[in-house]
Amino acid sequence: MAKGLEGKRALVTGGSRGIGRSIVEAFMEEGAQVLTCGRNSTPTDLPLGVAWHSADVSDRQQAEELVAVTQAQLGGIDILVNNAGVQIEKTVAESSDEDWERLMGVNAKAVFQLCRSVIPVMAGQGGGAIINIGSISASHADPKMALYNASKAFVQGLTRSIAVDHGPQGIRCNAIAPGWILTEMADSAFDLARDPAAARADAAARHPVGRLGTPDDIAQAAVWLASAEAAFVNGQTITVDGGLVAASPLRPELF
Amino acid sequence: MSEVAQGHLAGRVAVVTGGCGGIGQAICARFAKEGAKVYAADISDDGMGEEGAVTFHRTDVTSEDSVSALMTAIDDNDGKLDVLVNAAGIEIEKTVEETSLEDWNRIFAINVTGMFLTSKHALPLMRKAGGGSIVNFGSYDGFIADPSLAAYCATKGAVHALTRAMACDHGPENIRVNAVCPGYIDTPMLQSFCGSAGDIESLKSEVRHIHPLRRYGTPEDVANLVNWLAGDEARYASGQLWVLDGGLTAQAQQMRL
Repeated sequence: MAKGLEGKRALVTGGSRGIGRSIVEAFMEEGAQVLTCGRNSTPTDLPLGVAWHSADVSDRQQAEELVAVTQAQLGGIDILVNNAGVQIEKTVAESSDEDWERLMGVNAKAVFQLCRSVIPVMAGQGGGAIINIGSISASHADPKMALYNASKAFVQGLTRSIAVDHGPQGIRCNAIAPGWILTEMADSAFDLARDPAAARADAAARHPVGRLGTPDDIAQAAVWLASAEAAFVNGQTITVDGGLVAASPLRPELF
Repeated sequence: MSEVAQGHLAGRVAVVTGGCGGIGQAICARFAKEGAKVYAADISDDGMGEEGAVTFHRTDVTSEDSVSALMTAIDDNDGKLDVLVNAAGIEIEKTVEETSLEDWNRIFAINVTGMFLTSKHALPLMRKAGGGSIVNFGSYDGFIADPSLAAYCATKGAVHALTRAMACDHGPENIRVNAVCPGYIDTPMLQSFCGSAGDIESLKSEVRHIHPLRRYGTPEDVANLVNWLAGDEARYASGQLWVLDGGLTAQAQQMRL
């Protein structure tokens, strides 16, 4: 779908690395103008032509400023990708108030705030596409990730609500639920395994496609959802997991 | 309280297809304990214990004549039917490519057509009872796939859809239709499935560990749910797929680090 996003103006949160970075690169490849953000200063390896704005999206004022800066720099916003997220590896019993504020601040409140600020901009332009990054853990719990799992279920619920409430204004809102994506974070987890090679092989075998996902697998789904090809797709969560959740978790041949 | 003491299915007439199988036997025993008159309908009475209150009736659920004869016998003896449990089922451990048309037709005949025939012929008897409860056997495999069980997974998806359809059509007659969707239950069928990968004994701790409740299910666990769905406590429950898997499918698959 070369240049399927020609002339589109996109705000992608959390584009310094991982899935966010791949989305930024794929959007550029397809001809979009992109502004991305993170809490740190401009990453040294940011691709040429990508605009950067330092912001903590969980802060209301900074989120609103981010939207204003994007409008000013790009001249409008056609695509919003809420990708920024954090994870805290704790059960409910272990989670503190601070954990709640931090995790829900980024994974839930920031998504709400950015959608709230961007919807009027898109409505004024006659429409747009919002893509929220959820997770398969919204419907299948990862152990000791209680607030994270819950925050991703929030993302799915909010996605449907925006689709229903703002579809009449030409705004499509969809989510992507990635499975296991081999980011730097996942790779370092494998390095810590007792037998890294066996752990990698086991993880691959659990996927019907025989491998873990790449950030680009998610980025390509985002490109499609943002494009005119997906003009009638609204309110959906698209699972991109190599078939992981279609398969039973109990696999005798892997014991 | 006196009614509870007699069992909550006192005075009810129930038929359980596959009633001599691993789960079927547990259901028949529980229904009998709850005071129901129970017919265990199966192709053979192998493995059936000496259950005084359970009557074996040789039935081939794939034959309309056989199913019709079962219902006629119940009509002659009892004049009504309150509960139908469609527990008869088989699995074929093959991929689509390995499955012959004969395999495919056989598993659909037992798992799906059998349910259609028993339900079709049970409905007039349930009307005579003023209502009833049909409990079908779906599976968590109707939602997610186990490897090399393609036709089985497809039959369970069909059961889930048929359950909803019958619940909609017959709810106005006070006939409730639900499906139970077991995960891993300790039965000969499970031993066969796991046997393809090795010795069941050596797999047991692994199997337990993957379940949030740290065990797999027993036929009695399933009978507890079927018993509830069969009785009046579940009077507002209809058209639903009741997953019973110890939390197995609530979780994401875990990396083994």
